[in-house]
Amino acid sequence: MIAEIAQVAAQTAKDSISLNPINRWEWVFPLVESIHICGFTLLVGTVAVLDLRLSDLVLTRQSIAQLARALAPWIYLGIAVQFITGPYLFTASPPDYLHNPSFRMKMYFLAAALLFHFTAVRGTAGKSQPIGVGWRRLVAFVSIALWVGVMFSGLSIGFFAVND
Amino acid sequence: MSLHDAAQWLSDTQFSTALREDPYPYPVLGCIHVLSIALFGGMVAIGNLRVLGYTMRDIPVSQVIDQFRPWKWTGFAILAASGVLLMLSEPLDCYNSIFFWVSLALLALVGLNAWIFRSGIYRRVVEWDSAAIAPQQARNWAWVSLALWIALVFAGRLIAFA
Repeated sequence: MIAEIAQVAAQTAKDSISLNPINRWEWVFPLVESIHICGFTLLVGTVAVLDLRLSDLVLTRQSIAQLARALAPWIYLGIAVQFITGPYLFTASPPDYLHNPSFRMKMYFLAAALLFHFTAVRGTAGKSQPIGVGWRRLVAFVSIALWVGVMFSGLSIGFFAVND
Repeated sequence: MSLHDAAQWLSDTQFSTALREDPYPYPVLGCIHVLSIALFGGMVAIGNLRVLGYTMRDIPVSQVIDQFRPWKWTGFAILAASGVLLMLSEPLDCYNSIFFWVSLALLALVGLNAWIFRSGIYRRVVEWDSAAIAPQQARNWAWVSLALWIALVFAGRLIAFA
């Protein structure tokens, strides 16, 4: 009985994977992935501008807090696009992704990058008394390094041939 | 020599073969290429969104655009250099890919659009610099710029597909 239920469950999971549009038409995956890259550009591009501002390297005539406020909605939009397209790409082949070392590494980097952004980066940017540029540059550097980690491990998912 | 022969010749060079067959160049170049898209594309997006009045309305347009300029050129130089190297690693695949030629055409349109903006409405930027929302002509330019860049990301990604 339990074995039968398990078998039906496994078969249903297999069927739902093959009925998924991303697996039925070969062009769906690259199209969704293109949206994922646009979302990445919006998210990491705006975060990078904030990090460069924290380092006093761009838009220095505007206050850090002012820029952080202006960029926040676009950072949220970027996160939203990524949290819709990313999980959908994952549904193409969940077991393969879970066993893919690059995918796991990407999730760790992503968790660390988001956590760091909403604590250290936002905290530093929101200070009413600006802290020294040395500390701000350190925060910006760690932030950029974490996002580069997300991107590099994300790119290398494909090198472990998830879709074959 | 036809264009196809040129691609074949490039593909047979020692440099192209090394780029294609060594395990490291392709992922490293891909990483640099996407990183420069984020650096360059993020600033393009913010600049256009400012012209459209969707962000930083209290900052003059020219301040945003002028302060981003050196970074955008840096990003573009890295983007172009890594793109050329990626093309050199697979010259024949690029020649055969419709999306490679679409990408080149879109890149030309991006350049043309930027030139039209700079030689046209942006010359009179002092007249509308502090406006929360730029004049219609400048907003049209910003929408075209955003659309071309998004299309370029799609076309670039699809080179690996067909």
